[in-house]
Amino acid sequence: MNTHESNIAAPGLEEAPRPSVVSVAARAERTPARETPPLADEPVLVFEQVSKWYGSVIGVNQVTLEIRPGITGLVGHNGSGKSTLMRLAAGLARPELGRVLVGGLDAWSWEAKRNVGFCPDLDVFYEEMSGRGFIQTMARLCGYTRAAAHRRAEDALLLVGMAQRARLPLAGYSKGMRQRVKLAQALVHEPALLLLDEPLSGIDPVGRREMIAIFHELARRGTCLLISSHELDALERLTDRVAIMAAGRVAAVGALTQIRDLLADHPRSIRLACDQDNLLARRLLEMDEVVGLERTPGGQGFLISVRGRDFFQKLNRVVLDENLEMRHMETLDESTEDILDYLLGGRPSN
Amino acid sequence: MGLKLLHYRSWQGTFRSGIWSVWPIARVALATLLKRRMFWVLYAFGMLLFLMFFFGSFLLDWIEGQVAEGAVKIGQIDPNRVSRSLRNVIRILNGSQDTFAYFFVYQGGMVMNVLAFTGSLLVGGDFVRRSVTFYLAKPIHRWHYILGKCLAIGIVINLMTTLPALLLYGQNVMGDWQYLLNVNYFTEGNLGRGPAGWRLLLGIFGFGAVLTVCLSIILTAVSAWMRRTLPIIMVWVTIFVFLRMLSEMLVERLQYGPVWRLLDLWNSMCLLGFACLGFEEKQIWPSPQPPYWQAALSLAAVCVVSVIYLDRRMRNVEIVS
Repeated sequence: MNTHESNIAAPGLEEAPRPSVVSVAARAERTPARETPPLADEPVLVFEQVSKWYGSVIGVNQVTLEIRPGITGLVGHNGSGKSTLMRLAAGLARPELGRVLVGGLDAWSWEAKRNVGFCPDLDVFYEEMSGRGFIQTMARLCGYTRAAAHRRAEDALLLVGMAQRARLPLAGYSKGMRQRVKLAQALVHEPALLLLDEPLSGIDPVGRREMIAIFHELARRGTCLLISSHELDALERLTDRVAIMAAGRVAAVGALTQIRDLLADHPRSIRLACDQDNLLARRLLEMDEVVGLERTPGGQGFLISVRGRDFFQKLNRVVLDENLEMRHMETLDESTEDILDYLLGGRPSN
Repeated sequence: MGLKLLHYRSWQGTFRSGIWSVWPIARVALATLLKRRMFWVLYAFGMLLFLMFFFGSFLLDWIEGQVAEGAVKIGQIDPNRVSRSLRNVIRILNGSQDTFAYFFVYQGGMVMNVLAFTGSLLVGGDFVRRSVTFYLAKPIHRWHYILGKCLAIGIVINLMTTLPALLLYGQNVMGDWQYLLNVNYFTEGNLGRGPAGWRLLLGIFGFGAVLTVCLSIILTAVSAWMRRTLPIIMVWVTIFVFLRMLSEMLVERLQYGPVWRLLDLWNSMCLLGFACLGFEEKQIWPSPQPPYWQAALSLAAVCVVSVIYLDRRMRNVEIVS
């Protein structure tokens, strides 16, 4: 299984319930996923038949996954195995079965950690230390000389927008500042693989945009980012490539649109509006792909349910043939959240 | 926000080995400790004992001088007899092996208190706050982390024992250079017993090393196990107070063999320290005592068990963090 192809594991699909009702207004505000850069050939992070138990509880179960340069989202419910997967990749846990490789090296080895920057979801540090002191210490742990560690720490702090505030003790930092410091310590040795656990949590909207811009720039420059997040809207702005975890397994991995295509049992919901709604509705009902049509409450446009991949081509033809002026077209259930709904039977909880 | 800084000044040098991370880890732990008032209060109490030893030698010289000059008369008692009695009473301040044996034993008691209170701060806090994750996600081996913590504890121990002991040694050297140059300074001058010079200096380092190695490993293991201050103190008291009382009861009241004193780890550490200072086994009080090799063996066993526990603890850190 790799991120070139979308793949869906059987267990998650068979038990997936019907999609829940989602606010149309909320959909309308959603920003479409940004394009992620094309994947390079060599995977940076490889899980090979990895299983990990905590006593009698299974953390991850026979996971096989390849993560390549670019941004990959990791989503799933609490207890689905996301954090365990992150910890295995960061070399903080060792699999009972299988192996985890970072750049060809066993992730458990300290040599492999040279290539890994891990930003955990912890909010606690040595509270008396300054942000600058913390980053400098982390840089020294990476093997830099004292002088080099100071330079790298300054640059990393500047990068995350904390250079001016880094002299303050960590105890006085807000949640957003702590997130930035955590990101700085993960970036300080310029790793090939960045593992970010809830990196946008607690950051204000402006800061969030800045962080997302950094992630995109890192990805553009060839860094591999694996981002675990409950904030699916933010994740969608980062990438359309996700790995969905359920019950310790990878339920699906690939581009969101590809995963959605494979969910053939679940019709797509699309909101349409044009200058001649009645004509369009009549033509749509003639199509085999359209399985339902409903007027929107306000009377402007309608919601349709469609199956199959050919619908958009046929719609295109209809619009041209009838010379319709389309005013609105929006797919309502291709978001990460909706796909999670379909796959896992509910949204991830915080 | 400096996006242009990404891949800024790419690192062209060679990364240093993970062993270099030991000092930053220790420094962070020490910095955390040194910012606590409680530590300075306990340290100040420890230093009071040092000051007593430091100025006690001046007191000894002064009293001897006063008695010899006849300035001090205690009734009809012969001044020489008074001088001899005083010398015997405060012989422990004359800079001999006795001085350092008593100093390490008394100061060690204070060190044990400090360590009991600071174990959580130096080591346990990393597990409670889960900040150990930050360390272990860096390119270091888990043993580098353990070494860093042991180094921090070792520095605290030596700040309270070996360093003041060296100051006491230096004070005696400044008083008489023969103290440094002549190993038989005390026996030749009929000033006391035991070695002086480099042999005594080596003994001081040896006693300090025994305390450093044993206590740092045991405290790191106990702190990683218990994590919070109160449980650490309870375990610490059990090991170094309850077991001490038990061994004393077994050997001195119930007349069990001296091997039962090995239950008392502090006694075993002191035995090894006394060996370093040049004491013979028969000179050690309370008697009977087990042979030095048995004390060394028991401490080695405890340290090995602690190290094995630490190894397992660090391997499974993800379960508790």
